[in-house]
Amino acid sequence: MSTVQVEVQGLSKNFFDQSRGEVNAVQQVDFECRRGEILGLLGANGAGKTTTLRMISTVLQPTAGTARVLGHDVASEPVEVRRNLGFYSASTALYPRLTARETLTLFARVNKYPAERTKSRVEETIERFGVGEYAGVRIEKLSSGMKQKVSIARTVVHDPPVLIFDEPTVGLDVLNALDLQKAIQELREDGKAILFSTHIMSEAERLCDRIAIIDKGRIRACDDLEGLRAATSRHYLEDIFVHYVTSNADS
Amino acid sequence: MNRRTVSALVGNDLRQLARNPRVLVFAVALPLVIWPLMWFLTSLTTQRRQERLESRTYTYAVAEDPRDAEHAANARAWLERALAVVGEDGQADEADTPEAPAVRFERVDAPDDFKAALDEEQLHVHVAWEAGAGDGSNENVDVDSETLGNAGDPAQRIVLSYRADLDASDAAEGYLRRALERSRVEVREKRLAAAGFEAPPEDLLPLERIETASEEQTSGLLLGRILTAIIVMMMLAGGSIVATDALAGEKERGTLETLLTTAASRIEIVTAKNLSILTVAFATSVLNIANIVLWMQLDVIPAPPGLKLVIPVGAAMLLLFLYAPAAVLLSSSLLLVSGRSKTYKEAQLLFAPVMLVFLAVAAIPVLPGIALRSAIVVVPIANLGVAAREILTGQYDWPLIAAAWAVAAAAAAVLARASVRALSAEKLITASDLDAADLTGGPALFPRRVGRWFAALWALLLVWQLNVGGGIDGRLLIAINMAIFGAAAWLIIARYRLPVRETLSLRAPPPAAWLGVLIGVPAGLLLADGVVRLASLAMPIPQQWIEAMAEAFGADIPVWQTLFFFAILPGIFEEIAFRGVLLCGLRRRFRPVQLVLVAGIAFGFFHVDLFRIPGTSLLGVLLVIAVLRSGSIYPAMAWHALHNAVALGSARIEHIRLPEQPTWWHYVLATLAILAAFRLMAGPFQSRELR
Repeated sequence: MSTVQVEVQGLSKNFFDQSRGEVNAVQQVDFECRRGEILGLLGANGAGKTTTLRMISTVLQPTAGTARVLGHDVASEPVEVRRNLGFYSASTALYPRLTARETLTLFARVNKYPAERTKSRVEETIERFGVGEYAGVRIEKLSSGMKQKVSIARTVVHDPPVLIFDEPTVGLDVLNALDLQKAIQELREDGKAILFSTHIMSEAERLCDRIAIIDKGRIRACDDLEGLRAATSRHYLEDIFVHYVTSNADS
Repeated sequence: MNRRTVSALVGNDLRQLARNPRVLVFAVALPLVIWPLMWFLTSLTTQRRQERLESRTYTYAVAEDPRDAEHAANARAWLERALAVVGEDGQADEADTPEAPAVRFERVDAPDDFKAALDEEQLHVHVAWEAGAGDGSNENVDVDSETLGNAGDPAQRIVLSYRADLDASDAAEGYLRRALERSRVEVREKRLAAAGFEAPPEDLLPLERIETASEEQTSGLLLGRILTAIIVMMMLAGGSIVATDALAGEKERGTLETLLTTAASRIEIVTAKNLSILTVAFATSVLNIANIVLWMQLDVIPAPPGLKLVIPVGAAMLLLFLYAPAAVLLSSSLLLVSGRSKTYKEAQLLFAPVMLVFLAVAAIPVLPGIALRSAIVVVPIANLGVAAREILTGQYDWPLIAAAWAVAAAAAAVLARASVRALSAEKLITASDLDAADLTGGPALFPRRVGRWFAALWALLLVWQLNVGGGIDGRLLIAINMAIFGAAAWLIIARYRLPVRETLSLRAPPPAAWLGVLIGVPAGLLLADGVVRLASLAMPIPQQWIEAMAEAFGADIPVWQTLFFFAILPGIFEEIAFRGVLLCGLRRRFRPVQLVLVAGIAFGFFHVDLFRIPGTSLLGVLLVIAVLRSGSIYPAMAWHALHNAVALGSARIEHIRLPEQPTWWHYVLATLAILAAFRLMAGPFQSRELR
């Protein structure tokens, strides 16, 4: 519970937009995530959660600051960073014409999982996430709940030490969302360092060991729930969130 | 690069394609059936039409003017004689005219309104005898007599009226006209015989033609003209099946972000995508060619006359090697288009103009008179096409084949790099990858756009030079070229609101720079001469080229005009364009050595004549260094003007001749002199890169 797996310092991202000009999507963000920990990024839509996580996954280039995954810098060692990372979001789709088994095999190989262990790892993952019944069925023929299970399996099939879940429950029904939360908790127990972004308070409260409240691209607070309660004298996370966001707006 | 990753990605792309029955049916299977079917139906329709035309009975009528019975009789007499050749009112006489079609003609009474009769197809051809000024109405009309009417009088003629838009009428006119022409030849021969020329006309001066080209060479020329266009068309058609899906499809499905967050590097992804495109393009091309050859073997499709689909093994291997960079170039272009499209549909829309451009370039070998030993060697795809045509006719110009391959490979590398960059672009994932320069525009955007401007300018100049350049006076040509450079420079400066003084380095140079120019010019000329001699080892300069140059740069032009048009004008306008605008735009994008080479060689390539490129590239390099060292464009202007003046003067004035056979120490001295000249040029505005 002590090894720092993800380290983010002064991370910033500026966009340029025809209508708005320069937009500071993420500003001077600092945090770290340790082994066996779920760090929640809690923020409203457009707060900068996805941009931060995309910079850590090397899809976007930071304008300033650094982010390291297992000591590998996102700017200079992007392939090493991605090798140690599993990225899941509502926008990361699956190839519809592959079967679940083929999907897992493809992503194990693409993520450079050792060739001799790929087959057994794929079968192990299929069993663990309960997709055995439909492992030979094409993704396009699966229900959304089944697809979601295959998606999580795809994220972890190469056994990365760090996992990023960017608003994973968006669009899922309650039962599927609960299944997903359960799976994430199990992954934490496996010792994964998990970055979990959400705008749903109950999810953050239930899952996260620590919560970073992000608003307008800045981290307003980062602590465990007890620490946040003590700092704000508020019990419910919703109130705590509102406290930080409105005090920032006032200031 | 990890081969396992690449093969996994290629396997995935191919599997996606193989499991898409709609794409397989419409893009792969249907063309295999449709093309031969269209070909077959066209040939079948043509054959049926011919049979129909030959088996029907055509009607004709001769104009009957009661006031001019003789002329009507003349016309009938000629027609009867003519139709006797094809078989009057019946089958053609096969014995006499073995190639004549079996057509039947039937004479009908002349209608009152022959145009209406033609419209209603009651009549196929209307024949009239038109009298000339010197009416020969009193002449004998006996067809067997010497006179045969007054047909020798050019003022008289037979007029055939028909409807070209009606198949039967058009065909009848054709048969009748040919029959009349044959009769004319017969009558002429009779008259010649009667006048004492007993030998048939073809025996007067017998001609014999001997074709020295082998069958392979003749067939090779035919195949070489179309081979590149066919290959490019098939590769594009096949490759686009995968390319559309490769990035645009992945973007639309949402699988691109999944892929980009894996441990596959961008280069691995682009390599895999290119391999997928090439595999499918190659497979569909082979399938299509095999399909057409099969139908030809089965005689369902007729092979083009004179075409022999046999290529010697050595030539085939060379062609395969030659087309390799073209294949990468095509697949990278398709991938780039796919990467820059937001949706599948947009990619499909953009493929059409890209295909047109490639097909236009690939069709250049069809044009007669374009040899590889010309500026075409620097145009990717077209150069490989012309090289292929020459190889298939047995001409192996190895240095130029190597140059064409290198140019195509360089273009393929640039496009492959661009497609890797496209994959790294943030707009693949986010809504915008604009930066400050995009928003502010102006000078900030200029370095990013300067390459495009000069590429367009080069294309314009190439088209202009190839089509018009050679045919006009050298003075007019140079004046127009300089006007193009001047206008382009002004347009770029105005468009990006560039500060004129800084952009063009309009500053006073250190006084010693002028001395540097005086030392540098002769030394530079000697070095340029050495470069040209070196290049001529690989590309010997033809004598006719030297003569054409001497003519273009005017042995007949007055000296002051030679100096004005060929020294002073280029010294001003080419410097403003190349050492001013281009150099300013490239400065921030390249390291010093790269900058000097890129800006210098680009200048050489603008002299689109192949044999001028090496020498002018060296001059370009020297002038770029002169500007960077002195911080001013003026020494480069003086150097350029003096260089041209001395070079042209050396052709006219004995005293300023270069050594006929320079030795190695001439070049060593020239190099030392150049270094000394650059040393003298260093001033307070010297570019930081060269300090």
